[in-house]
Order: sequence, then C-alpha cells, then structure tokens
Amino acid sequence: MSLWVDKYRPKNLQELHYHHALSKRLKSLASGDFPHILFYGPSGAGKKTRIACTLREIYGPGAEKLKIDQRIFLSPSRRKLEINLTQSNYHIEITPSEAGNYDRVVIQEILKEIAQTQQVDLNAKQRFKIVVINEADSLSRDAQAALRRTMEKYMSNMRIILCANSTSRLIAPIKSRCLLVRVAAPNADEMAAVLNSVAGRENFQLPEEAARQIVEDSNGNMRKALLVMEALKMQSPNLTGPLTIAKPDWETYCHKVADLIVSEQSPSRIMEVRNKFYELLSHCIPPTVILKTVAERVVERVDESLKADIMHWAAFYETRMRIGNKKIYHLEAWVVKVMSLYKQFFYGFDMSSFD
Amino acid sequence: MAPKTNKSGKGGGKDIRTFFGGSQKSSGSGSAAYLTGCRSSKPINTDSDDEPIGPSKLTGRMVLDGSEDENPRPPQKRKAPLRVDDDESREDSPPRKKASISSTKANVRKSVKPRKDEDYEIEKSSSEEDFIDDEPDDIKTKVKRKSSSSKKEKATKSEPENKKVAPTKAAAKPKSANLHLHRSLITNIFDSWAAIKAAKLAGPSAPGSKQVPDGAPNCLLGLSFVFTGELSSFSREEAVDLAKRFGGRVVLQPSSKTDFVVLGDDAGPAKLAAIKKHGLKTLSEDEFLNLIATREGADEGGLDAKTKKKLEKEQQEIRKAAKEMEKRENSSSHVQLDPSIQLWTTRYAPQSLKEICGNKGQVEKLLQWLNDWPSSLKSGFKKPGKIGMNIFRGVLITGPPGIGKTTSAHLCAKLAGFTPIELNASDTRSKKLVENGMNINNTSLDGFIHGAGSTNSVGVPITGKTCLIMDEVDGMSAGDRGGVGALNAIIKKSKIPIICIANDRGAQKLKPLMSTTFSLNFSRWDSNTHRKLVLTNAPDQGMKVPANVVDQLIQGSQSDIRQVLNMLSTWKLSSDSMDFDESKSLVKMNEKYAIMTPFDITSKILGPYLFSSTARETLGDKMELYFQDHSFVPLFIQENYLKSQPARVRNLDGPEKELKHLQLMEQASASISDGDLVDSLIHGPEQHWGLMPLHAVCSTVRPASCLYGSGVHFGGPNSMSFPQWLGQNSKKNKLARQLADVQVRMRLKVSSDKAEIRQSYVPALFPYIVRPLVDEGAGAVDKVIERMDAYYLSKEDWETIVELGVGENKDVKIASAAKSSFTRKYNGSDHPIPFHKAQDLGKMPKKLTGGPAPDLEEAFIDDIPDDEEEDVKPKESIDDISGDKLIQAPKKRKAVGTTKAKTKTKTKTSKKS
Repeated sequence: MSLWVDKYRPKNLQELHYHHALSKRLKSLASGDFPHILFYGPSGAGKKTRIACTLREIYGPGAEKLKIDQRIFLSPSRRKLEINLTQSNYHIEITPSEAGNYDRVVIQEILKEIAQTQQVDLNAKQRFKIVVINEADSLSRDAQAALRRTMEKYMSNMRIILCANSTSRLIAPIKSRCLLVRVAAPNADEMAAVLNSVAGRENFQLPEEAARQIVEDSNGNMRKALLVMEALKMQSPNLTGPLTIAKPDWETYCHKVADLIVSEQSPSRIMEVRNKFYELLSHCIPPTVILKTVAERVVERVDESLKADIMHWAAFYETRMRIGNKKIYHLEAWVVKVMSLYKQFFYGFDMSSFD
Repeated sequence: MAPKTNKSGKGGGKDIRTFFGGSQKSSGSGSAAYLTGCRSSKPINTDSDDEPIGPSKLTGRMVLDGSEDENPRPPQKRKAPLRVDDDESREDSPPRKKASISSTKANVRKSVKPRKDEDYEIEKSSSEEDFIDDEPDDIKTKVKRKSSSSKKEKATKSEPENKKVAPTKAAAKPKSANLHLHRSLITNIFDSWAAIKAAKLAGPSAPGSKQVPDGAPNCLLGLSFVFTGELSSFSREEAVDLAKRFGGRVVLQPSSKTDFVVLGDDAGPAKLAAIKKHGLKTLSEDEFLNLIATREGADEGGLDAKTKKKLEKEQQEIRKAAKEMEKRENSSSHVQLDPSIQLWTTRYAPQSLKEICGNKGQVEKLLQWLNDWPSSLKSGFKKPGKIGMNIFRGVLITGPPGIGKTTSAHLCAKLAGFTPIELNASDTRSKKLVENGMNINNTSLDGFIHGAGSTNSVGVPITGKTCLIMDEVDGMSAGDRGGVGALNAIIKKSKIPIICIANDRGAQKLKPLMSTTFSLNFSRWDSNTHRKLVLTNAPDQGMKVPANVVDQLIQGSQSDIRQVLNMLSTWKLSSDSMDFDESKSLVKMNEKYAIMTPFDITSKILGPYLFSSTARETLGDKMELYFQDHSFVPLFIQENYLKSQPARVRNLDGPEKELKHLQLMEQASASISDGDLVDSLIHGPEQHWGLMPLHAVCSTVRPASCLYGSGVHFGGPNSMSFPQWLGQNSKKNKLARQLADVQVRMRLKVSSDKAEIRQSYVPALFPYIVRPLVDEGAGAVDKVIERMDAYYLSKEDWETIVELGVGENKDVKIASAAKSSFTRKYNGSDHPIPFHKAQDLGKMPKKLTGGPAPDLEEAFIDDIPDDEEEDVKPKESIDDISGDKLIQAPKKRKAVGTTKAKTKTKTKTSKKS
C-alpha cells in the first residue's frame, strides 16, 4: 500500500501526462543511437520518471527489475564510505554526492569498472549499458573533470544520463558532451489533469476548487501536489468546503522563525533564531530552502519598501552560503541584516539622503 | 581599483579580490559587484578630510576600503592610492608620515606583482608595516619619555612627543580599516557619522598627549596605588607601569591601607564606594603625574618614618638570610662541587624545610606523609591520619613549572630519610619497563658494598628506604605506551612511597592516577616571597637589583623562580645592576609562550580592553590570539559575539542605541560570513593557507572590534558558551547518514533524492506511520507495519523518520504500550528487505588512493574484518542457513521468504570475488 504518488507513477513513455513532445523525442532516441543525456529541471517535474520510462523503452521491462547493492570504500583517512548502487541488468544508478569529498575517486572506480566490461546479455536491445548519475549538480569540480574523458573514451560500452536540478553548477565541457533535456514543471492545467486522473483511478471525484488550491500550493511540484491531495483526502474524505492544506513540519517551523524576526530585533532574539536554524539544519533541511522559505515569509509581513532589500540580501547570502562551509554564519548574517533594515525602517531613519 | 574580469573561470583563489571591495567599478561583471555587497558605486566624498586629494598626494594615501573611495579613479595604470581610513582620530590628525612610507613601499612591491594579487598585497604590506614599525616606535616613545629631562623643556618637547605617538595610532588604524570589507556606502556613512557623534559624547581622550615627568627614582616608594576607570592619555597598563617604575605598589582593590586612588572616567562603582568608606585620597591623572614630578626620591628622605622602618626591617631580614646562606655554603662538606660552577638554581636550592619558600603547607603535608609511611604501611593503609593522606600509597604533585615541585619532593624524601629514585621524561617509561625494570621493591646492594655513609651521585645518603619520584608524568606519551597504566598498577600495591609530579592536573592522561593518589596542588608563589628570595641571593653574587625590577622579572616570568634565577645569572655575565627598563626588555626577550584556552581568548578579545582607545595592542597582537587556536577561536567568537554590551554604544540611548547596536552586529556578522568564505578557500581543494591572516581578521578581529565590551564572562545571563556548531554539525551528519539509509531503502519505490525525501516524504509518511501510534495506540500497529513494508522501511528507518521531525512533529509521545507492541509485532513478522548492507555481507572495503594512515594513537582501528575465516568456508555454505549471519536461529526468520524484495541471500563467499 504505497502512496498514490508512487502507486500511479507512469511506467512507460506513453503513459506520461504532459510534455508529449519530449516523450516523443525520447522514444525516437531510444530506438536509434542514444547520446549522453542531461536531464534538468525543478524537483517534482518528472525527471526521474522520464529517465525510468526511457530506460524501459530502450531495454524493455528488464530495466525495471532493480536491485540495490552497496560498495564500501576506504578513504585515505581510513573512514568507510558506503556507496549505494541501484542497478538492473542494463543500467546502474549512482549518487556520487554520498561520497562527499571523495566523489571523484568513487566515480572513477565505478565508471571504469562498468565501462570496461561489455554487455553480457546477448538479447539486450542495445550493446551499451547506461549509467545514471543522480544529483549531478552536486558533483565536485574534480569529479566533473574526471567524467569528461571517460564519457568519450568508453562511449561504445556505456552511455551516461545525468540528472540535475540546474545546469549552472555543471562545467561547460560536460554540458557540451550531453544532449540537454529540460523537464519543465507542469503548468496548472497539466497538474489538474494528473490530479484528476489519479482521483479517477482511486474512484473519487476531485472538486475543481480543491484541485485549484492544491495546484496553487504545490507550486509546480507534481510530487508535492499528489502528496498533498492524498493528505487532504485523508483529512476530509469528501474534499468539499473550506480546505486547509497542512504544511510540512519544516515549513511551519520556518514560518515561526520568520515571525520571530519580524516581531523583535535584539541580540537575544538573534540567538533564539540561531537555535531554530540549527534545529532545522541538523534535521537535514537544506540551508537554501530554509533561507528561501523564511525570506518569503518575512517579505510577506513587512512594508513594501523593505521587500526589495530583504530579497536582495537573501540572494546575496545564498550565494555566499553556496561558496562557504558553515551555512549558519550566512543565515545569521542575513537575519541580522534584515533586523537592522527593519529597525531602521521602524524608527524612520531616512538613510536615503546619504545615498 | 580598475575593473577586473571576473569571468575567467578558475573561481577559487580569485574570489578573494572581492573581499576588499576591489571590483567596485567593474560594472561589467555584475557578479563581482554583487559579491561585494555594494549597491551603489557612486563616488561620494563623505570624509571631510583635511588633506586635498591631488594626484601628487595620491600615492601617499592608503585606500583599504574601496567603497569609501572619494575620487572616481582615472582608469590609468596608476597604482591604487593608499589612504589611511581613520575617521576617528581625524581631529588630532598628525602629518601622515608613516602611512606614506608604508604605502610607497607597498607600491614598489606591487608594481612587480601580477595584477590579480594586488589587493591582497596591500593588505599584506600594510599589516607587515604594523608588525615592523609599531614596536620600535613604542620603544622610541619610551626612550623619549625617559630622556625628556627637565620641566623647562616640556613645552618644546610635547610636540614631538605628540608626533611620535600619533603615527603609531595612524599605523594602528589600518587594521580597523582593513576590516571594512563588504560594507555598503550607507553603513559607512552611518558609521563615520556615528563615530563622530560617539567621539563627541565619550570624548575619548588624546592618547599620548601628556608627557611623563621625570621624577626622582623611587619617589613613589612605599606608596600603594589603585587605578580605576579609564585615564585620558595612558592605558591602564602604561599607568600601572609608571607607578611601578617609580617604586610604587599597585594593588587591585582599594583598602584602608591604600595611599592613593587614581581616578579616570567611568570608575567602577564598587571602587568608588570603597574610596568613600575608607576616606582615601584620590588623584586625577594630572595630579598623579604631578606627584611623580614633585615628590622627593627615597634617597633624599622623602619617606615617612613608618615606611622607612619597614624597609629597614626588610633589608635586615634579607641580609640575615644572605649571611646564613653564606655560612651554609662554607660549612657544607658533602657538596663536592665548587658552587661557582653550579647553576644558580641548584646552588640556591633550599636545603632545609625552613628555606622552602612557597607552598609551605603542601610541602609539610608531603613530609608528614613520608614520615608516617612506615606506620601506614604496617596498618595496610587503613588509617587515614589527620588529613586523610595516609590511605594513599602515592602522591600526585601538580603545578606550573618553576615553582619547586621537584625540589620539594627531593628535599622531603631526603628529610624523611628516604633515598629518592627519580625517573623523568629522559627515561623510557613504557609499560614493560615500568613493570620490570624498576625493581623498586628490592633493597639496593649499593649501601652494602660501600658501607654505611655512602651517597649516590647527587649526594643523598643511600639508606634501606627508597622513594620513587616519577617526574613529568604528563610527559609519558608516544613511546611510553601504557606507562601511566602500569604506574598506576604499581602504585596500587607499592611498598615504597611514590611521588608523581606533573604540570597539568586536568590532563586526560592523569585520570587513572586521580583515584589512587593524593593530589597536592602547588600554586605560584606570591611575588613577596619570591622577591625576598631573589633579593637574598642577588647580593651574594654582587648584584644590585632593586625591588621593583625583581617584581617586573617575577611578573614577566609568571612566577617561575627557576626562570628568574636563570635570567639573573645570564644577566650577571654582562652587568652587575639592572634597571626597570632593562628588566622589562629582558622579560620580553624571555617571554614564555602562554597558551590560553579558547575561553580565555574569547573573553579577552570580546572584553572591553583589547580594542579600547587606549589599548596598545597592534593588529598583530590581536591576530596572535586567533593563531593560538585557529580552529576553535573563530567558532567561539561566532558563538559569543552577540553576548557583549558593546562599548561603542555605551554612550548612546534609546532607539539610537538599538540601531547602532544592530548596525554593529550587522557588521560583525557580515565579517564572520566573509571569514567563512576565506575559510572555504583555506580548507578547499586548493588549500590557500596563506590566507590565514585574512581569516584571522575576518573571523575574529573585526567582529570583536565591532562588538567588544563588557558582559562576555563566565556565569551570568549571557555567559560564554561552548560553540554549538560542533555538536549541531555532528548531529546533522548523523541524521544525514540515517536519511541516506532511508532513501536507499525507499529507492525501489520512490525516485526522489535525499532532500526530497526529507522535505516531502517524511512529512507525508508521518501521518501514516507515526501519528496513528500516537492517536490510536496499539490498535494501529498493523496498519503502520503494512505501510512501512510498502516502502521497505525497517524499524531503524522508522526511528529515523521520528527523529527527523521538527516543530510539531518533534518529540511525539507514543504510549509505551503502543511502542512495545509495535516493536514486538514488527520483530515477530517477516519484512521485505531491499538489500543487505555491504558490511553485513562481510565485504572488504576497497581502499581509495591516498597517503598512509595517520600516525596517531587514536587512529588505530581494531575492527579489521576477519576475511581469512570467511574465505576458507566451503562452497556448501551457500545453502547452509545456519552459517548466515543475517539469519538468527532463535527468531525463526526466513531470509528467502519474500519474493517481492530481491533479498540477496547470496552469501559472502560467492560475493567474495
């Protein structure tokens, strides 16, 4: 009994509900010569689903028989690195970011091993195997560089599918070796269509109003929309009347933080906020998500004239967060900045005359 | 600064440029401007500096803060002008000689360097300048003060004096200026505006504006002083120094015996109350100087009768002691060595209990214990004795170096009639040697052969009784593995007294000794005892050393009597007398590197004195604090920087204060954020360790320079705390690891990555697998388990999901009945397993290329998988379930049960290839 989002996941390219042109192209690629492909797009848009469908298109149902294997590597400082591989007979899927700083060596080890052996199954539709690299945008620069030559050298035995949220962190040589496939987030109508089809298969009627609300809340994230719909259905089985969409725990927590920032500006409040940030960070909420959620909430609650500034500084510190090591420092710097801006505004200090 | 291309992609090392606001004008590269945080690069003249900015002058000025740049720079190749950014000391702005010198130097150097290093070059050169120039300057000032002889000259002198001091200030300023990284124009303007305002309010002082009078030597002899508040032209240290130079005594708290209290601004209320209570005389700074100038010296009868008498008495005592010493040296027959070739420390080592100076009580305890030894041995260490010491077979003496621990131990052993056997760090003291090699329970044949009255090499008579002195126990390390443990074992059953000596009581290594030994803590002597001792010995060598000089030596060596004697004996080689300044420089030369804990460092950096206007620490000194522990100090600063009451907002009130406070915090936090970027360059793939000074400034010095002030102490509402980051970070890593496990298990069903699992699935699964247990209790267990099996989640994964909740999903309370029934049910049934962990299958880890394992004691790993055993297993074991680690017999679980999960019951042997 899985969640709907997994239960009704499309299994092949024909079943996909949106981006039909893309499906068509993938289908024709699968039958002909298959290049290295880089799938990119926001989360919840259907990248992985499309990859899985493409694999099935290439190799048939055998590609769905997944097994998980674990490799252990010993880092030079004798720390054990466990790398999980998800594989079928025809493809293998790795998430190199699990190896942290050693992703380069791990990638080299695994890729070479795969590339140096030929396809064993003589009945396979294609002579090459496919390596799917997840979270490609978190690959270190070195690892990406290591990938460059391998991609060309072992082309006859292996094709690579990269999956990333954005291409900005990938180096140009990688991008130039791949076919870039953008999987955009579905628009409102497409999402509503998917929701309705799932509702139909679950044998209930989704009211239009509810569908609208869910789509609005999920912000183009199909996964989120389906999860929300299931949660709503559990809350109020007939889905009528005023619906309150329950936010995930971390989101409400972020909103609390934002309220703390707006309601008081003092050193002790900053320390309180710091503790809350630590709580979020230690519970595996990515810092950029925290900053984005909190900033959006703060902006909702302050005067019009401050909004641009607050967002500017949020963007500023987000960049620094990506460059730096200790995320909390930048989050805190942003909070102090916002508090200072807010206080200046509150006391009506007109700084513009200096500018 | 000229625009620089930011697009050439190497990233990494070059980002540093932007820290200095270097790319202000680079309108082309938006990202650079973005990074520097300047929203406007409009050139504005905010600094009403008195110097005109002509091209001719440009070279002589130092621009360390690009955003404060007045003139739109001509885009020629001309070197970036350098300007001292000191908005606060502007009022008394002296001719900026120093700055111009340094900047020309910097320019010369710069012109050879490639363009991209330029900004950092400026930084480096200017800070180097600080290092080099400040010190001689200080000395010069001092010399000047000393030599400025008569009062007539005062008028003429005061000007050059001014000049001398001011450049120091000016040179010191760039430090704070350097720090103005990433500052937008607004803050800058606000800053300078606020600084002027604060300056007006606080009226900080004209440091170095007053001249030190040339008083008679020892004119303050016999007087005691208390300083309180901030003086206008001297820092506290300087003023104290001054009083001491002229023979005065400086105490910390006023009492009825205090002669004068020198009052500055913002005097402490407690001290003011004490003044009132005791009716003490108070002096202002000028009066204090006047007192020095007018009071007659000790030689001219400026002392009152009482002090005179007291001094006389002291002198007499010293003379008496010296005489005794002489007598002893002459009479001592057993010292075969000529005293003149002995070290002073040996020569003047105490020979009897009476001569022991410091820690008398502790030494007496030790002696008593040794005297009681035979009887306590007889009673089997059952009778505690008067101070409870007689139940121990060992004593652990701890204390800082040079206060006579070893000397006392030897002396006591000798006096109690024991023959000391000493083992110190020069001997190997490994477990084996300590166990076998010592033979301490034997009686020596030495005395038997030589007959009675023979002595060992150091002249101690050999008796039937021996006493083991384990010196430098905390030095038992590396080669002496297991030594402390073996020593401890010996102490437990020893029949001879064992005295262990160490420096640090709290050392982890000494933990085992804590329960088996009696701990005697030796402390530093007060300077009185100390001084007496030195004064007794010095005349013996024909040296003339005044009391205040001795005090200086003692203070400088942190009461290390051994060092003081060594310093004196070295000095003796060149001169027979020493004056105050000589002693100061001698101490400075012999300065020990005092290691402070991060807590001490933090309270010093964030404390009110290090950055106050009268402080004399250079940027180098401040950075030195960072380098004492460069990994911890930044963390401590970040943890605690918000806890101070900043001195900079002391004189403000109401909203203005709040605003300024926020402003300062903003600067500090922005600087800490800068620091983190620098840190990522240092610890990044390219390891720019050369950036550490910059990291010191960004992460430590600049935040502290904004927020220094009182309030960061132990205890109290805002007590200093240990950095949370460490704990939180390891917690994060742990949960991230667990989350990865959850993700990989769910992978067969779910396509998302870790972040998505956490953000979407954990909250979505929560109502299905955790909430029901809370709401419905044991009744919901089946539903929950069914749902978990659908996602291949194990019990541990369930716990991870519970642990990952924040806010309302945190600390969910599940009734213990429900929980135990859940556990029982889960363990009692079969579950699909997506895969087995590699370690469970006994897979060998593959070694990644890299250096050899670190040579650390802690780094030894014991859990090397026992692969040989596995390898010899016969092939049949594939079908032999009993051999499978994963299948536990008592639970009757079938490993091959579910077809849905591809349980790989391939055993290790087949996987081994």
